[in-house]
Amino acid sequence: MNLLSLLNTSAGTLAAYGSVLETAQNNVSNASTPGYAKQSMQLTAMPFDPSTGFQGGVRSGTLVSSRDEYAEQAVRQQNVSLGAQQQLVDSLTSLESLFDISGQQGIPKALNDVFSAFSAWGASPTNQATRQTVLDSATEVAQSFQQAANGLANQEHTATQQVSQTVDQVNQLVGQLQQLNKIIMAGNRNDAGIDAQVNSTLQNLSQLVDFTATKQDDGSVTVMLNGNQLLLTEDQQYKLSFTQSMPTSPPPTYPNAPPSAQVLTSDGTDITSQITNGQLGALLNVRNQVLPSYIGDAYQPGDLNTMAKQFADRVNQLLTSGQMSDGTAGVPLFTYDTSNDTAVARTIAVDPNVTPDQLAAVDPAANVSNGIPLALSQLASPADPADEINGVSYSQFYGNLAGRVGSQLNDATNQSQVQQSLVAQAESLRQQTSGVSLDEEATILVEFQRAYQATSKFITVLDQLTQTTIDMLPT
Amino acid sequence: MPQAGIEEQLRAARLEVDGAIQLLVTASPESLDRCAPILETASQRIAGFQSRLGEEGGNSKAREEARRLRSSVSRAGRLLEGAASFHFNWSRMRDTLCAGYTEGGAPAPAPPRKRISIEG
Repeated sequence: MNLLSLLNTSAGTLAAYGSVLETAQNNVSNASTPGYAKQSMQLTAMPFDPSTGFQGGVRSGTLVSSRDEYAEQAVRQQNVSLGAQQQLVDSLTSLESLFDISGQQGIPKALNDVFSAFSAWGASPTNQATRQTVLDSATEVAQSFQQAANGLANQEHTATQQVSQTVDQVNQLVGQLQQLNKIIMAGNRNDAGIDAQVNSTLQNLSQLVDFTATKQDDGSVTVMLNGNQLLLTEDQQYKLSFTQSMPTSPPPTYPNAPPSAQVLTSDGTDITSQITNGQLGALLNVRNQVLPSYIGDAYQPGDLNTMAKQFADRVNQLLTSGQMSDGTAGVPLFTYDTSNDTAVARTIAVDPNVTPDQLAAVDPAANVSNGIPLALSQLASPADPADEINGVSYSQFYGNLAGRVGSQLNDATNQSQVQQSLVAQAESLRQQTSGVSLDEEATILVEFQRAYQATSKFITVLDQLTQTTIDMLPT
Repeated sequence: MPQAGIEEQLRAARLEVDGAIQLLVTASPESLDRCAPILETASQRIAGFQSRLGEEGGNSKAREEARRLRSSVSRAGRLLEGAASFHFNWSRMRDTLCAGYTEGGAPAPAPPRKRISIEG
């Protein structure tokens, strides 16, 4: 081996280690870059046989990323559920604020006031002041229904805007991935910076929708919504769009109800029902399921409208069955839009033409001078099924309605906390499995299996013990 | 057992389960190994006072604490399932990479790696 070849070998080796140092420096510099995965330089030993001219040494080989697509997908999967739960908590927190259960304001207070007014009228059926109080408190009931309905309509409007904005965000993020795919396909597939950007964008997208991302042979990323709707392949993006429309099949029972929010694919296919996870899934759930259960949609009037209608109808029925002291028939008190059952709470009002004198107190059937106010005051604690709504009093019905939001919010808050732990766990598992060899994987899997069985057994025991304890403790 | 005793025992058990949850978030085989004894201690603690619970009773606060404990146990269960699912799928994927698929289309189990050990 002559001096020149020795120098040549040394230079090659120095260059190889230079590449290793550069890679290490790159890893340190990008330690906090979103989406960056550690890289390592593979070194290749050169053949050494001076007799045949092989001078040995090492050369730098390929740059290997420690990114494991399976672990990345597992983190994204947990992120999708976290996005959904957090959005549900946000939306339901706003919704809960509309339902007062303290009885100090809103519908519960208005109902208490009107029931008290009916009782006072029963005690003094000819007193003008008590009659005026009945009209005033009935107006308060109507206004509180209107306020609740308007508040829910505002929530629906907000949810609609949020769905639209989230669809735009999905399109925007997939658009960014499309641009990155173009750069990758132009020959930059091993660029760690681009790789980091791709993964950071996929991470952001996973907050919004459930999808699978597959890396193709050319390095580009294919993105499928729910694993079956193509959003991106190579440099081709398939945008989602947002619309509102009334479902046609089955034919709507309430054609004047608010339309539903829909998400369409680029070819116009409605995929709303498929989007059940991520922020978008939660928003669609709130917009198309939760809110309509209160204010109605094409197939249901909504509980608030049902309550307003039944209350108004029952009060009107009792009043019109009565008479005034001069024998004149009673008049109805409440009015509402009778053409649209999904707009009752929004349109309920006290007939402005009704005066205190027109409130009929006499029950002609029983010939009792205060029979009607007494019957009206029975609405507070009904004995007659006609005074109930779905088998309970109006106050209880409202309490159940408000409690439903509280219960859903409580569930979502708990699930959100669990989901945060699951995301942290998936990130930890990604870290543990990053760049391990098949040998190491096999060892970890065997160790895990053993530890899992022991832990699983104790969790089952604990679950049973805790349930028995709860059952034994007094409520 | 005094009322406060039941609550304290339940709270202590919950704190133990919460400690196990922290380990389950890491979900390495080592942390899972440390998890099992902690959960065993919590189980023994509950079993220890449960037999006397019927005679000595409890109160609504104890029941509330028991519910919180159950919520923690449920969370621990979810985390264990999460880790198990990750490793199970990983194992299937590794099998597929190493041994392909069976005729039925399922991942073929990877053959155990053969090792030679030489002792001098």
